[in-house]
Amino acid sequence: MDAIATHKLNSEEIFALLKQFITEVIGEEFVEDMDISKESSFTRDLEMDSIEIVSFSEKVKSHFGEHVDFTGWLSGMDLDQLINLKLGDIIKYIEQCQ
Amino acid sequence: MSKFMFVVPPFFGHISPTLSVGSSLIAKGHEVIWVGLKELAPEHIPAGGKFIVPHPELAEYQTAIHHILQKQDEGPKLSGVETLKLALEETYLPFCRIMINGVNRVADEFQPDVIVSDCITFAGAICAYQKDIPCVTTTPVPPDVTADSMNSPKIFEWQQNLIKGLHHEMGIYSGEFAIHSREMNIVFTSEEFSGCKDPLPHMRFVGPVKGRPNNTPFDWDRLSRAIGPKVFVSLGTLLVDIRKEFFGKLIAAFADEPLTIIAATDPAIFPEWPDNFIVQGYVPQTQLMPHMDAVICHGGFNTVNDAFLNGLPMLITPIAYDHFHTASLIENAGCGIKLRYKRLRVSDLRDSMWEVLQNEKYRQGAQHIRDTFIQAGGNDKAVELLETFAQRTKARLTA
Repeated sequence: MDAIATHKLNSEEIFALLKQFITEVIGEEFVEDMDISKESSFTRDLEMDSIEIVSFSEKVKSHFGEHVDFTGWLSGMDLDQLINLKLGDIIKYIEQCQ
Repeated sequence: MSKFMFVVPPFFGHISPTLSVGSSLIAKGHEVIWVGLKELAPEHIPAGGKFIVPHPELAEYQTAIHHILQKQDEGPKLSGVETLKLALEETYLPFCRIMINGVNRVADEFQPDVIVSDCITFAGAICAYQKDIPCVTTTPVPPDVTADSMNSPKIFEWQQNLIKGLHHEMGIYSGEFAIHSREMNIVFTSEEFSGCKDPLPHMRFVGPVKGRPNNTPFDWDRLSRAIGPKVFVSLGTLLVDIRKEFFGKLIAAFADEPLTIIAATDPAIFPEWPDNFIVQGYVPQTQLMPHMDAVICHGGFNTVNDAFLNGLPMLITPIAYDHFHTASLIENAGCGIKLRYKRLRVSDLRDSMWEVLQNEKYRQGAQHIRDTFIQAGGNDKAVELLETFAQRTKARLTA
């Protein structure tokens, strides 16, 4: 279990952290072939399915605590927003929540 | 005697159960026709039945139909939410708009007592609603009733708005829901396997109907000499692009293992196959299954049902569309292990295969589902339901 973060992270730190979560969720050997950037879309580029997204959001929650309601944020999105969701959008959302 | 008009999409998995049921209805003296978007190979059409493609009404839509069918090949590349969009917005709704005039004309000419409309060809049910013809829906795949974690209120709203919009386009403003029958929905699986808790009373689970026999030749002699457990592998008839990659992983996982793989795929994708692989483009699947110990498949319903009817445990590698839902049902029912195709590791493939073969609980789970399928009544039950429905609704109309 990761410790709940106490200091504010900047966007580069959040990016590095999210990349680490993605690697843990989908497996190192599959990440090697991917070029993960802030422009990577969750569903299309990273090809994350709902189970992977759930396990990713659990990692976000256990790291940042309850005040980053990632799942709640996702559930307010419509179809096209979900299809176009990029890693950069999640970084911005976490920055706002901190 | 009654007249039944089936309305079907151009997907064989949806057509196939209606052919078995239709063929039995014909044998009992009823008149049966099918209305579809694309011609069906004559050998599939039951003797005495007629498969009608309303060409005059479809002529102006040929490019659109071609485009929609081509789009289905993109399935493996799409995410869950994109698949939703492809299915409802880019396939089912256009099919309805394209088919409705032809379906209406054929209904006027044939004067059916009952329209039996597949769950994704809304045109059949809408035609029935507008002409006050009794209607039954058929559903080949367990309905996805579980709330997927991606299902947000906005996605539900999107779905509702599209369906409402379609009703308005079709001139239905009553607020009634006319794309499916509210009187009877025949589902080709068992209630237990579908995972539906408290289904509505018009949902009738009849289990799978047996496929029509195929007499493709097979090297039975070689099969009798095969060593170790025998595992049948099929990716169904679609998904041609990924075959090489998929079977490449199977070779890496099982070439040196003490088991035999029987695969239904074109052998030409590799110059040679390991000795413990028996590979043939088309196989007599129904006849082969009783000789197998387990099945590897992607979650397409034809193979899954064949496996269950033989009580065989499964290793499922869902690729696209409803495969993920079916794979979850199989795993939840304790009949196998699900490995997502997109992140398929050779070591997981091998370990899970041996777990499925050696842990008796998967076989027991599959045998239990087989029992629920058989108890559901299959083809005979579907025929009985349709005959009784036709009689009851005829009595109502003449009353």
